[in-house]
Amino acid sequence: MAAAEHAAAASGADALDTYPLLVGKQDNTTLTGNLLAHVWARPDKGWLLSFMIALSGSGALVLAITVTLVEGIGAWGNNIPVGWAFDITNFVWWIGIGHAGTLISAILFLFQQRWRTAINRFSEAMTIFAVMCAGLFPLLHTGRPWFAYFMFPYPSTLNMWPQFKSPLIWDVFAVSTYFTVSVLFWYLGLIPDLASLRDASKSPIQRKIYGIFALGWRGSGRHWHNYKVGYLLLAGLSTPLVVSVHTIVSFDFAVSLIPGWHTTIFPPYFVAGAVFSGFAMVMSWMVPARHFLGLKHVITMRHLENMNKIILATGMLVSYGYLMEHWIAWYSGNRFEWFVFFNRATGPYRGVYYLMLFCNVLVPQIFWFKYFRTSIPWMFIASIFVNIGMWCERFVIIVTSLHRDFLPAAWDMYYPTWVDITLFLGTIGFFSTCFLLFLKFIPAVAVSEVKELNEELQHRPAPVTVVTGA
Amino acid sequence: MEHAAEQHGHAAPVGKTYVLARFETGEALVDACYKVREKGFESIDTHSPYPLHGGDEALGLGRSRVPRIALAGGLTGMFGGYLMMVYMNAVNWPLNVGGRPPHAPPSFIPITFETTVLLASLSIFFGLLTLMRLPQPYHAAFELEQFRSAVNDGFWLSVALPPGSDGKDATGLVSQLGAKEVSTVKESVE
Repeated sequence: MAAAEHAAAASGADALDTYPLLVGKQDNTTLTGNLLAHVWARPDKGWLLSFMIALSGSGALVLAITVTLVEGIGAWGNNIPVGWAFDITNFVWWIGIGHAGTLISAILFLFQQRWRTAINRFSEAMTIFAVMCAGLFPLLHTGRPWFAYFMFPYPSTLNMWPQFKSPLIWDVFAVSTYFTVSVLFWYLGLIPDLASLRDASKSPIQRKIYGIFALGWRGSGRHWHNYKVGYLLLAGLSTPLVVSVHTIVSFDFAVSLIPGWHTTIFPPYFVAGAVFSGFAMVMSWMVPARHFLGLKHVITMRHLENMNKIILATGMLVSYGYLMEHWIAWYSGNRFEWFVFFNRATGPYRGVYYLMLFCNVLVPQIFWFKYFRTSIPWMFIASIFVNIGMWCERFVIIVTSLHRDFLPAAWDMYYPTWVDITLFLGTIGFFSTCFLLFLKFIPAVAVSEVKELNEELQHRPAPVTVVTGA
Repeated sequence: MEHAAEQHGHAAPVGKTYVLARFETGEALVDACYKVREKGFESIDTHSPYPLHGGDEALGLGRSRVPRIALAGGLTGMFGGYLMMVYMNAVNWPLNVGGRPPHAPPSFIPITFETTVLLASLSIFFGLLTLMRLPQPYHAAFELEQFRSAVNDGFWLSVALPPGSDGKDATGLVSQLGAKEVSTVKESVE
């Protein structure tokens, strides 16, 4: 602890903050060196092994997609009444994971939270890959994905326009806008770092390739002038956008008349859940990445602890959502509504329900204690549990609400087929493949922003010494 | 470029010439920037790995035009999106869904919001590229190998010389202001 305090004082951090934002005395030259080092390094065995596993997962995804396209969605376990199952569960889970990226990059940017700087690039990349995985599921679930363009408003010879009163069409617009804006925001933030890669590279090929993507950026003051404003505005636009996306996803359910779905609490409850699961996913990746990429001096315990606090806060919001859902189901006096919740806790899917409660309500409570907030193994394990718990939550919401509807004669069970499971695991593989490639070829930390932060920290007035006693 | 060449009566197009000077810190660069402008050099620029504190004022830049571009894009998206839905679902092909009116404002809000954000963001991104004149694969400053530090750890001042100037006055001035390295680069013209 004494060493950490000393380091904090040395880097000019707040005297009350135990952990510094940047460890050690850094300057622009050392930061260029150590933040780009992992891009220049040859991939080690660990990376190659993980990449092979991830690539096999992507292969499995291709296989499962092929089976789905050849056989149709009859290859899945979906039936009537359970028309939405693994597909939509996975869609909502993935899109929720993406939300942490936008939250970190945009909302924390607007609040001028300086600890966001080291982790924004990382989580924005996660957003993009997660939305790619998410988009796949509704696309496949249409059954004929080659006609997916029917959902966009274009002057068709069929004289057919989209039906804009449907939340499913709102979803098309929300998710495609979210993906586009996330990519623009990410790429805009990357341009200075791509230029940095271009000009720090040793080989002419690297210089050429990074040069193409850097668009000729030369750190011009006239460029920065507009760039800063543009970046701020994009952050400002992304903030309501991220809230709108999961709100609209929740409308897919809330606008329907299915007991268990037709609930006004859904929009805020879904957004909180999205941030909760997204932060957990960022944590699950960041803990190993900062270790293997040598980024412990910029992604410090301060970042991890702050993230754990957000996981705790959003976990409490999600728990409150559960509480209200159940209370309203009872208080409404609607017997179908009450039955859904009773069935969740006592019906055939109760195991998933209790796993959800354990992972999302109980597990985050450990983060009340500083020991757990600052313990690497504990936070890693907890983040995995939260990921599982949030997947279970979506499964519970979707499948248990559908499988026993108004008429007992129409009740049925849903069991996933191997295609369902392979599709889900395949998207995890695809996500990991993209992420590992990102970690290999692009700086995982926003280099120019960290340099600016370093400059700011060094020019901050020395912390006021508090004299206690006499 | 060609325009400038015609004006000064040269037969072949002549590239611009820049004096590039590296300073030790961002503050030194900002100070130098003010002083160079005082001496009458208006066509100057700074190059730094991150935005300089007070850099905009030092270069004499006014308000950015990006917010107005964003507003224009956002308004286009908002009205365009809403009117698109009204036209498609209420005018061109009135669609009765569950007895709701064909023009149903509450149902049109979510997509109106999304198209607003989409067009505002696209106009910010492409507006920025236009204002910054990127992508620009070639710039005279890239002729100087040492200038590669500008995006990593160097703080550079560039002064575009007026045609016909040999750059001695600018070079002398920046050296006097404490530049660590001074070079003159000439744009290569085919």
